[in-house]
Amino acid sequence: MKVSIFKIGTSLLGLAAIFSLSGCNSYNRLVILEQNANKKWADVQSVYQRRADLIPNLVNTVAGSANFEKSTLTEVTNARASVGRVQLDPNKAPEDAEQLKKFQAAQGQLSNALSRLLVVSENYPQLRATEAFQNLQAQLEGTENRISVERNNYNSAVQDLNTALERFPTNMLNKMFGFKPRAFFQAEAGSEKAPTVNFNFGSPTPAPAATAASTP
Amino acid sequence: MPQRNPSVRAGLAVSLGIATTRTLYLGVLALFAGAFVARGAEVIPPKPDRYFNDYAGVVSPGVAERLNTQLAQFERDTSDQVLVAVYRKMQSDSSIEDYSQRIAQAWQVGQKEKRNGVVLLVFLDDRKASIQVGYGLEGALPDITAYDIRERHMNPHFRKGDYEGGLSEAVDLICKAIRGEYKGSGRTNAESRGDNGGTIGLLVFLFVLVIFLLAVRASRRFGGYRYTGGGGPFVSGNWGSGGGWSSGSSGGGFGSFSSGGGSFGGGGSSGSW
Repeated sequence: MKVSIFKIGTSLLGLAAIFSLSGCNSYNRLVILEQNANKKWADVQSVYQRRADLIPNLVNTVAGSANFEKSTLTEVTNARASVGRVQLDPNKAPEDAEQLKKFQAAQGQLSNALSRLLVVSENYPQLRATEAFQNLQAQLEGTENRISVERNNYNSAVQDLNTALERFPTNMLNKMFGFKPRAFFQAEAGSEKAPTVNFNFGSPTPAPAATAASTP
Repeated sequence: MPQRNPSVRAGLAVSLGIATTRTLYLGVLALFAGAFVARGAEVIPPKPDRYFNDYAGVVSPGVAERLNTQLAQFERDTSDQVLVAVYRKMQSDSSIEDYSQRIAQAWQVGQKEKRNGVVLLVFLDDRKASIQVGYGLEGALPDITAYDIRERHMNPHFRKGDYEGGLSEAVDLICKAIRGEYKGSGRTNAESRGDNGGTIGLLVFLFVLVIFLLAVRASRRFGGYRYTGGGGPFVSGNWGSGGGWSSGSSGGGFGSFSSGGGSFGGGGSSGSW
Protein backbone atom coordinates (compact mmCIF):
# COMPACT_ATOMS: atom_id res chain seq x y z
CA MET A 1 0.00 0.00 0.00
CA LYS A 2 2.63 2.48 1.08
CA VAL A 3 4.80 1.46 -1.81
CA SER A 4 2.09 2.08 -4.36
CA ILE A 5 1.33 5.56 -2.96
CA PHE A 6 5.01 6.31 -3.15
CA LYS A 7 5.07 5.08 -6.72
CA ILE A 8 2.12 7.24 -7.73
CA GLY A 9 3.66 10.22 -6.00
CA THR A 10 6.97 9.88 -7.80
CA SER A 11 5.37 9.33 -11.16
CA LEU A 12 3.21 12.43 -10.65
CA LEU A 13 6.33 14.39 -9.71
CA GLY A 14 8.03 13.09 -12.81
CA LEU A 15 5.11 14.13 -14.96
CA ALA A 16 5.12 17.59 -13.41
CA ALA A 17 8.84 17.87 -14.08
CA ILE A 18 8.35 16.89 -17.70
CA PHE A 19 5.55 19.40 -18.13
CA SER A 20 7.52 22.25 -16.60
CA LEU A 21 10.51 21.35 -18.75
CA SER A 22 8.46 21.40 -21.90
CA GLY A 23 6.93 24.65 -20.68
CA CYS A 24 10.42 26.17 -20.42
CA ASN A 25 11.20 24.96 -23.88
CA SER A 26 8.01 26.41 -25.29
CA TYR A 27 8.64 29.69 -23.53
CA ASN A 28 12.12 29.93 -24.99
CA ARG A 29 10.77 29.03 -28.38
CA LEU A 30 8.15 31.76 -28.19
CA VAL A 31 10.80 34.30 -27.24
CA ILE A 32 12.89 33.28 -30.23
CA LEU A 33 9.91 33.43 -32.58
CA GLU A 34 8.94 36.82 -31.27
CA GLN A 35 12.44 38.17 -31.69
CA ASN A 36 12.52 36.79 -35.19
CA ALA A 37 9.27 38.56 -36.06
CA ASN A 38 10.68 41.80 -34.65
CA LYS A 39 13.87 41.39 -36.63
CA LYS A 40 11.94 40.79 -39.82
CA TRP A 41 9.81 43.81 -39.11
CA ALA A 42 12.95 45.92 -38.76
CA ASP A 43 14.09 44.61 -42.15
CA VAL A 44 10.77 45.62 -43.68
CA GLN A 45 11.12 49.08 -42.20
CA SER A 46 14.63 49.48 -43.52
CA VAL A 47 13.72 48.63 -47.11
CA TYR A 48 10.78 51.06 -46.99
CA GLN A 49 13.15 53.64 -45.59
CA ARG A 50 15.56 52.92 -48.41
CA ARG A 51 12.85 53.69 -50.91
CA ALA A 52 11.91 56.89 -49.13
CA ASP A 53 15.57 57.94 -49.22
CA LEU A 54 15.72 57.49 -52.98
CA ILE A 55 12.86 59.87 -53.62
CA PRO A 56 14.47 63.31 -53.16
CA ASN A 57 17.15 62.25 -55.63
CA LEU A 58 14.58 60.99 -58.10
CA VAL A 59 12.50 64.14 -57.80
CA ASN A 60 15.56 66.33 -58.36
CA THR A 61 16.63 64.39 -61.40
CA VAL A 62 13.18 64.48 -62.94
CA ALA A 63 12.49 68.10 -62.03
CA GLY A 64 15.68 69.10 -63.86
CA SER A 65 14.21 67.79 -67.07
CA ALA A 66 12.59 70.46 -69.22
CA ASN A 67 8.88 71.06 -68.45
CA PHE A 68 8.21 67.76 -66.76
CA GLU A 69 4.62 67.32 -65.71
CA LYS A 70 4.53 68.95 -62.29
CA SER A 71 1.43 67.23 -60.91
CA THR A 72 3.01 63.76 -60.87
CA LEU A 73 6.04 65.15 -59.04
CA THR A 74 3.91 66.82 -56.38
CA GLU A 75 1.98 63.60 -55.98
CA VAL A 76 5.20 61.69 -55.24
CA THR A 77 6.38 64.35 -52.82
CA ASN A 78 3.04 64.38 -51.02
CA ALA A 79 2.88 60.60 -50.81
CA ARG A 80 6.43 60.58 -49.44
CA ALA A 81 5.35 63.07 -46.78
CA SER A 82 2.29 61.07 -45.78
CA VAL A 83 4.42 57.95 -45.44
CA GLY A 84 6.50 59.91 -42.97
CA ARG A 85 3.41 60.62 -40.89
CA VAL A 86 2.40 56.96 -40.40
CA GLN A 87 5.31 55.81 -38.31
CA LEU A 88 5.29 52.49 -36.49
CA ASP A 89 7.83 51.36 -33.94
CA PRO A 90 10.66 50.01 -36.10
CA ASN A 91 11.86 47.60 -33.41
CA LYS A 92 8.63 45.86 -32.59
CA ALA A 93 6.41 43.93 -34.96
CA PRO A 94 3.00 45.60 -34.90
CA GLU A 95 0.19 43.95 -32.93
CA ASP A 96 -2.52 46.25 -34.18
CA ALA A 97 -3.79 45.14 -37.57
CA GLU A 98 -5.51 48.50 -38.15
CA GLN A 99 -2.27 50.41 -37.67
CA LEU A 100 -0.43 48.15 -40.06
CA LYS A 101 -3.23 48.64 -42.56
CA LYS A 102 -2.77 52.41 -42.36
CA PHE A 103 0.97 52.03 -42.76
CA GLN A 104 0.45 49.77 -45.73
CA ALA A 105 -2.05 52.16 -47.31
CA ALA A 106 0.40 55.07 -47.05
CA GLN A 107 3.21 53.01 -48.56
CA GLY A 108 0.85 51.79 -51.26
CA GLN A 109 0.00 55.37 -52.14
CA LEU A 110 3.68 56.10 -52.57
CA SER A 111 4.08 53.00 -54.73
CA ASN A 112 1.28 54.19 -56.97
CA ALA A 113 2.63 57.71 -57.24
CA LEU A 114 6.05 56.35 -58.15
CA SER A 115 4.74 54.01 -60.80
CA ARG A 116 2.71 56.84 -62.31
CA LEU A 117 5.80 59.00 -62.40
CA LEU A 118 7.68 56.29 -64.23
CA VAL A 119 4.87 55.81 -66.70
CA VAL A 120 4.75 59.54 -67.38
CA SER A 121 8.52 59.61 -67.82
CA GLU A 122 8.09 57.51 -70.93
CA ASN A 123 7.01 60.68 -72.67
CA TYR A 124 10.42 62.18 -72.01
CA PRO A 125 12.92 60.15 -73.99
CA GLN A 126 15.69 62.62 -73.32
CA LEU A 127 15.24 62.22 -69.59
CA ARG A 128 15.10 58.44 -69.89
CA ALA A 129 18.31 58.44 -71.87
CA THR A 130 20.29 60.08 -69.06
CA GLU A 131 22.44 57.79 -66.99
CA ALA A 132 21.27 59.41 -63.77
CA PHE A 133 17.67 58.49 -64.50
CA GLN A 134 18.49 54.95 -65.59
CA ASN A 135 20.48 54.40 -62.43
CA LEU A 136 17.66 55.70 -60.31
CA GLN A 137 15.26 53.38 -62.06
CA ALA A 138 17.56 50.42 -61.45
CA GLN A 139 17.74 51.32 -57.77
CA LEU A 140 14.02 51.84 -57.49
CA GLU A 141 13.36 48.52 -59.15
CA GLY A 142 15.73 46.77 -56.76
CA THR A 143 14.07 48.45 -53.81
CA GLU A 144 10.60 47.33 -54.87
CA ASN A 145 11.93 43.77 -55.13
CA ARG A 146 13.49 44.02 -51.70
CA ILE A 147 10.26 45.32 -50.24
CA SER A 148 8.32 42.33 -51.55
CA VAL A 149 10.97 39.87 -50.28
CA GLU A 150 11.14 41.39 -46.81
CA ARG A 151 7.38 41.60 -46.53
CA ASN A 152 7.11 37.91 -47.37
CA ASN A 153 9.81 37.09 -44.83
CA TYR A 154 7.98 39.13 -42.22
CA ASN A 155 4.67 37.47 -42.94
CA SER A 156 6.11 33.98 -42.59
CA ALA A 157 7.84 34.94 -39.33
CA VAL A 158 4.50 36.23 -38.02
CA GLN A 159 2.78 33.09 -39.17
CA ASP A 160 5.29 30.96 -37.24
CA LEU A 161 4.78 33.04 -34.12
CA ASN A 162 0.98 33.19 -34.36
CA THR A 163 0.70 29.46 -35.01
CA ALA A 164 2.87 28.70 -31.99
CA LEU A 165 0.72 30.98 -29.87
CA GLU A 166 -2.44 29.12 -30.80
CA ARG A 167 -1.07 25.66 -30.22
CA PHE A 168 -1.10 23.60 -27.03
CA PRO A 169 0.76 23.89 -24.68
CA THR A 170 2.22 27.23 -25.75
CA ASN A 171 -1.23 28.81 -25.86
CA MET A 172 -1.28 28.68 -22.04
CA LEU A 173 2.03 30.52 -21.78
CA ASN A 174 0.61 33.02 -24.18
CA LYS A 175 -1.83 34.15 -21.49
CA MET A 176 0.62 33.80 -18.60
CA PHE A 177 3.40 35.87 -20.11
CA GLY A 178 1.41 38.19 -22.34
CA PHE A 179 2.67 37.12 -25.73
CA LYS A 180 0.54 38.67 -28.43
CA PRO A 181 -0.07 37.63 -32.03
CA ARG A 182 1.21 40.05 -34.65
CA ALA A 183 -0.46 41.57 -37.68
CA PHE A 184 0.11 40.45 -41.27
CA PHE A 185 0.68 42.46 -44.39
CA GLN A 186 -2.35 42.00 -46.60
CA ALA A 187 -1.36 40.59 -49.95
CA GLU A 188 -4.16 41.82 -52.21
CA ALA A 189 -5.27 45.15 -50.86
CA GLY A 190 -5.72 46.73 -54.27
CA SER A 191 -3.80 49.92 -53.72
CA GLU A 192 -0.93 48.03 -52.17
CA LYS A 193 -0.14 46.01 -55.28
CA ALA A 194 3.49 46.65 -56.02
CA PRO A 195 3.84 48.65 -59.19
CA THR A 196 5.26 46.67 -62.07
CA VAL A 197 8.56 48.47 -62.21
CA ASN A 198 9.83 46.39 -65.05
CA PHE A 199 11.76 48.54 -67.45
CA ASN A 200 12.87 47.50 -70.84
CA PHE A 201 15.58 49.87 -71.94
CA GLY A 202 16.49 47.49 -74.71
CA SER A 203 13.62 48.36 -77.01
CA PRO A 204 13.34 52.15 -77.13
CA THR A 205 9.71 53.08 -77.45
CA PRO A 206 9.29 55.64 -80.22
CA ALA A 207 7.82 58.43 -78.13
CA PRO A 208 8.40 61.60 -80.14
CA ALA A 209 9.54 64.61 -78.17
CA ALA A 210 6.97 66.78 -79.92
CA THR A 211 4.02 65.01 -78.25
CA ALA A 212 5.85 65.13 -74.95
CA ALA A 213 6.23 68.90 -75.19
CA SER A 214 2.57 69.36 -76.06
CA THR A 215 1.33 67.52 -72.93
CA PRO A 216 0.69 70.08 -70.18
CA MET B 1 9.58 27.68 -46.66
CA PRO B 2 8.40 30.98 -47.97
CA GLN B 3 4.76 30.18 -48.37
CA ARG B 4 2.42 27.90 -46.61
CA ASN B 5 -0.79 26.96 -48.17
CA PRO B 6 -3.84 26.79 -45.94
CA SER B 7 -5.20 23.90 -47.96
CA VAL B 8 -2.11 21.87 -47.07
CA ARG B 9 -2.74 22.49 -43.41
CA ALA B 10 -6.38 21.68 -43.80
CA GLY B 11 -5.38 18.45 -45.50
CA LEU B 12 -3.10 17.61 -42.60
CA ALA B 13 -5.82 18.29 -40.10
CA VAL B 14 -8.16 16.03 -42.00
CA SER B 15 -5.65 13.25 -42.25
CA LEU B 16 -4.79 13.44 -38.56
CA GLY B 17 -8.31 13.88 -37.27
CA ILE B 18 -9.81 10.66 -38.58
CA ALA B 19 -8.83 7.24 -37.42
CA THR B 20 -10.37 4.75 -39.85
CA THR B 21 -8.11 3.75 -42.67
CA ARG B 22 -10.43 4.56 -45.53
CA THR B 23 -10.95 8.14 -44.45
CA LEU B 24 -7.28 8.33 -43.68
CA TYR B 25 -6.62 7.63 -47.34
CA LEU B 26 -9.03 10.38 -48.21
CA GLY B 27 -7.13 12.71 -45.91
CA VAL B 28 -3.83 11.78 -47.50
CA LEU B 29 -5.40 12.37 -50.90
CA ALA B 30 -6.56 15.79 -49.77
CA LEU B 31 -3.06 16.49 -48.53
CA PHE B 32 -1.57 15.63 -51.90
CA ALA B 33 -4.21 17.64 -53.71
CA GLY B 34 -3.39 20.62 -51.52
CA ALA B 35 0.32 20.23 -52.18
CA PHE B 36 -0.38 19.98 -55.88
CA VAL B 37 -2.39 23.19 -55.93
CA ALA B 38 0.31 24.94 -53.94
CA ARG B 39 3.15 23.85 -56.19
CA GLY B 40 1.43 23.53 -59.52
CA ALA B 41 2.27 27.00 -60.75
CA GLU B 42 5.95 27.14 -59.96
CA VAL B 43 8.92 24.79 -60.07
CA ILE B 44 12.16 25.66 -58.34
CA PRO B 45 14.86 23.76 -60.25
CA PRO B 46 17.08 21.42 -58.21
CA LYS B 47 20.30 22.84 -56.84
CA PRO B 48 23.14 22.49 -59.39
CA ASP B 49 26.37 20.76 -58.41
CA ARG B 50 28.61 22.91 -60.62
CA TYR B 51 29.33 26.63 -60.70
CA PHE B 52 28.53 26.98 -64.37
CA ASN B 53 25.48 25.05 -65.55
CA ASP B 54 24.23 25.16 -69.10
CA TYR B 55 20.99 23.19 -69.17
CA ALA B 56 20.05 24.65 -72.55
CA GLY B 57 23.11 23.48 -74.45
CA VAL B 58 24.18 26.81 -75.90
CA VAL B 59 27.69 27.00 -74.48
CA SER B 60 30.50 24.81 -75.79
CA PRO B 61 31.89 22.27 -73.28
CA GLY B 62 35.32 23.92 -73.39
CA VAL B 63 34.01 27.35 -72.41
CA ALA B 64 31.67 25.86 -69.80
CA GLU B 65 34.59 24.04 -68.22
CA ARG B 66 36.77 27.15 -68.28
CA LEU B 67 34.08 29.27 -66.59
CA ASN B 68 33.44 26.55 -64.04
CA THR B 69 37.14 26.37 -63.17
CA GLN B 70 37.31 30.14 -63.00
CA LEU B 71 34.39 30.31 -60.56
CA ALA B 72 35.74 27.48 -58.40
CA GLN B 73 39.07 29.32 -58.18
CA PHE B 74 37.15 32.49 -57.35
CA GLU B 75 35.59 30.80 -54.34
CA ARG B 76 39.01 29.61 -53.20
CA ASP B 77 40.34 33.17 -53.45
CA THR B 78 37.42 35.10 -52.02
CA SER B 79 34.93 32.60 -50.52
CA ASP B 80 32.29 34.31 -52.71
CA GLN B 81 30.10 31.85 -54.56
CA VAL B 82 29.04 32.87 -58.05
CA LEU B 83 26.69 30.46 -59.74
CA VAL B 84 25.44 30.55 -63.31
CA ALA B 85 22.51 28.52 -64.63
CA VAL B 86 21.10 28.69 -68.15
CA TYR B 87 17.64 27.23 -68.72
CA ARG B 88 15.27 27.08 -71.63
CA LYS B 89 12.13 28.25 -69.86
CA MET B 90 10.91 29.80 -66.65
CA GLN B 91 8.73 27.34 -64.74
CA SER B 92 6.66 29.97 -63.03
CA ASP B 93 3.93 32.52 -63.60
CA SER B 94 5.66 35.05 -61.39
CA SER B 95 7.86 37.84 -62.62
CA ILE B 96 11.50 37.07 -63.36
CA GLU B 97 12.51 39.16 -60.31
CA ASP B 98 10.43 37.16 -57.83
CA TYR B 99 11.11 33.77 -59.35
CA SER B 100 14.87 34.32 -59.48
CA GLN B 101 14.98 35.54 -55.91
CA ARG B 102 13.18 32.41 -54.74
CA ILE B 103 15.55 30.18 -56.72
CA ALA B 104 18.65 31.90 -55.33
CA GLN B 105 17.24 31.72 -51.81
CA ALA B 106 16.34 28.04 -52.21
CA TRP B 107 19.83 27.14 -53.46
CA GLN B 108 21.48 29.05 -50.59
CA VAL B 109 24.40 30.16 -52.71
CA GLY B 110 27.08 31.94 -50.67
CA GLN B 111 28.50 31.40 -47.20
CA LYS B 112 26.01 31.46 -44.35
CA GLU B 113 27.58 34.22 -42.28
CA LYS B 114 28.91 36.39 -45.12
CA ARG B 115 25.84 35.83 -47.28
CA ASN B 116 28.13 36.38 -50.26
CA GLY B 117 26.47 34.62 -53.15
CA VAL B 118 25.60 35.81 -56.64
CA VAL B 119 23.30 33.86 -58.96
CA LEU B 120 23.04 34.60 -62.66
CA LEU B 121 19.97 32.98 -64.19
CA VAL B 122 19.19 32.97 -67.90
CA PHE B 123 15.94 31.78 -69.50
CA LEU B 124 16.56 31.61 -73.21
CA ASP B 125 13.09 31.11 -74.62
CA ASP B 126 11.69 33.83 -72.37
CA ARG B 127 14.60 36.11 -73.34
CA LYS B 128 14.96 37.01 -69.68
CA ALA B 129 17.91 37.07 -67.33
CA SER B 130 18.47 37.93 -63.70
CA ILE B 131 21.44 38.68 -61.51
CA GLN B 132 20.57 37.98 -57.88
CA VAL B 133 22.93 39.42 -55.29
CA GLY B 134 23.19 38.03 -51.76
CA TYR B 135 22.74 40.37 -48.80
CA GLY B 136 26.46 40.44 -48.08
CA LEU B 137 27.43 41.66 -51.55
CA GLU B 138 24.80 44.35 -52.03
CA GLY B 139 27.46 46.93 -51.20
CA ALA B 140 30.08 45.61 -53.63
CA LEU B 141 27.60 44.83 -56.38
CA PRO B 142 24.77 47.37 -56.05
CA ASP B 143 21.70 47.26 -58.28
CA ILE B 144 23.16 49.88 -60.58
CA THR B 145 26.24 47.77 -61.25
CA ALA B 146 24.18 44.62 -61.72
CA TYR B 147 21.94 46.52 -64.10
CA ASP B 148 24.97 47.86 -65.95
CA ILE B 149 26.49 44.39 -66.32
CA ARG B 150 23.26 42.85 -67.50
CA GLU B 151 21.96 45.60 -69.75
CA ARG B 152 25.11 47.16 -71.18
CA HIS B 153 27.50 44.21 -71.32
CA MET B 154 25.63 40.92 -71.36
CA ASN B 155 22.46 41.75 -73.30
CA PRO B 156 24.20 43.21 -76.40
CA HIS B 157 25.90 39.81 -76.84
CA PHE B 158 22.65 37.96 -76.19
CA ARG B 159 20.80 40.01 -78.80
CA LYS B 160 23.30 38.82 -81.36
CA GLY B 161 22.88 35.23 -80.20
CA ASP B 162 26.38 35.19 -78.70
CA TYR B 163 25.58 33.48 -75.40
CA GLU B 164 29.14 32.39 -74.67
CA GLY B 165 30.42 35.92 -75.05
CA GLY B 166 27.66 37.44 -72.94
CA LEU B 167 28.01 34.91 -70.14
CA SER B 168 31.82 35.13 -70.07
CA GLU B 169 31.72 38.90 -69.88
CA ALA B 170 29.03 38.90 -67.21
CA VAL B 171 30.98 36.39 -65.09
CA ASP B 172 34.18 38.44 -65.46
CA LEU B 173 32.46 41.67 -64.50
CA ILE B 174 30.60 40.17 -61.53
CA CYS B 175 33.85 38.72 -60.19
CA LYS B 176 35.64 42.01 -60.78
CA ALA B 177 32.98 43.92 -58.85
CA ILE B 178 32.94 41.69 -55.79
CA ARG B 179 36.62 40.72 -55.56
CA GLY B 180 38.20 42.19 -52.47
CA GLU B 181 35.03 42.26 -50.39
CA TYR B 182 35.82 39.01 -48.57
CA LYS B 183 38.85 36.79 -48.10
CA GLY B 184 38.91 33.19 -49.19
CA SER B 185 40.22 30.19 -47.32
CA GLY B 186 42.05 28.76 -50.31
CA ARG B 187 39.54 26.00 -50.86
CA THR B 188 35.94 25.70 -51.95
CA ASN B 189 33.13 24.45 -49.73
CA ALA B 190 33.06 21.16 -51.60
CA GLU B 191 36.79 20.71 -51.10
CA SER B 192 36.95 21.62 -47.43
CA ARG B 193 33.88 19.55 -46.63
CA GLY B 194 35.35 16.47 -48.28
CA ASP B 195 38.63 17.12 -46.56
CA ASN B 196 37.14 17.59 -43.11
CA GLY B 197 35.25 14.37 -43.54
CA GLY B 198 38.50 12.60 -44.29
CA THR B 199 40.32 14.08 -41.32
CA ILE B 200 37.50 13.33 -38.91
CA GLY B 201 37.30 9.79 -40.26
CA LEU B 202 41.02 9.35 -39.72
CA LEU B 203 40.86 10.77 -36.18
CA VAL B 204 37.97 8.50 -35.27
CA PHE B 205 39.83 5.57 -36.72
CA LEU B 206 42.98 6.37 -34.72
CA PHE B 207 40.94 6.91 -31.56
CA VAL B 208 39.22 3.57 -31.95
CA LEU B 209 42.56 1.91 -32.70
CA VAL B 210 44.09 3.32 -29.51
CA ILE B 211 41.11 2.17 -27.43
CA PHE B 212 41.29 -1.21 -29.06
CA LEU B 213 45.02 -1.57 -28.30
CA LEU B 214 44.46 -0.41 -24.73
CA ALA B 215 41.63 -2.89 -24.36
CA VAL B 216 43.80 -5.69 -25.69
CA ARG B 217 46.55 -4.78 -23.26
CA ALA B 218 44.11 -4.55 -20.36
CA SER B 219 42.48 -7.83 -21.28
CA ARG B 220 45.86 -9.53 -21.36
CA ARG B 221 46.59 -8.23 -17.91
CA PHE B 222 43.23 -9.25 -16.47
CA GLY B 223 42.71 -12.31 -18.58
CA GLY B 224 39.43 -11.17 -20.19
CA TYR B 225 40.54 -12.14 -23.68
CA ARG B 226 37.28 -13.74 -24.61
CA TYR B 227 35.30 -10.47 -24.48
CA THR B 228 37.75 -8.31 -26.44
CA GLY B 229 38.29 -11.09 -28.88
CA GLY B 230 34.61 -10.78 -29.84
CA GLY B 231 34.54 -6.98 -29.79
CA GLY B 232 37.74 -6.40 -31.71
CA PRO B 233 36.80 -7.28 -35.27
CA PHE B 234 33.38 -5.66 -34.96
CA VAL B 235 34.79 -2.31 -33.86
CA SER B 236 37.63 -2.15 -36.35
CA GLY B 237 35.45 -3.34 -39.21
CA ASN B 238 32.75 -0.76 -38.61
CA TRP B 239 34.93 2.29 -38.20
CA GLY B 240 37.48 1.31 -40.77
CA SER B 241 34.85 1.32 -43.48
CA GLY B 242 33.53 4.69 -42.23
CA GLY B 243 36.92 6.29 -42.67
CA GLY B 244 37.29 4.84 -46.12
CA TRP B 245 33.94 6.23 -47.21
CA SER B 246 34.67 9.81 -46.15
CA SER B 247 38.12 9.92 -47.72
CA GLY B 248 36.58 8.61 -50.92
CA SER B 249 34.06 11.46 -51.04
CA SER B 250 36.75 14.12 -50.78
CA GLY B 251 38.07 13.11 -54.17
CA GLY B 252 34.92 14.42 -55.91
CA GLY B 253 35.25 17.96 -54.51
CA PHE B 254 37.27 19.47 -57.32
CA GLY B 255 35.28 21.93 -59.43
CA SER B 256 31.95 20.89 -57.93
CA PHE B 257 29.71 23.32 -56.15
CA SER B 258 28.49 23.00 -52.59
CA SER B 259 26.35 25.82 -51.22
CA GLY B 260 27.17 27.45 -47.91
CA GLY B 261 23.76 28.65 -46.72
CA GLY B 262 23.69 32.16 -48.18
CA SER B 263 20.54 34.28 -48.37
CA PHE B 264 19.07 36.76 -50.82
CA GLY B 265 16.87 39.78 -50.35
CA GLY B 266 15.98 40.69 -53.92
CA GLY B 267 19.06 42.80 -54.69
CA GLY B 268 20.43 42.78 -58.22
CA SER B 269 18.84 43.33 -61.58
CA SER B 270 16.44 41.42 -63.80
CA GLY B 271 14.82 41.95 -67.16
CA SER B 272 14.49 41.01 -70.81
CA TRP B 273 16.93 41.40 -73.64
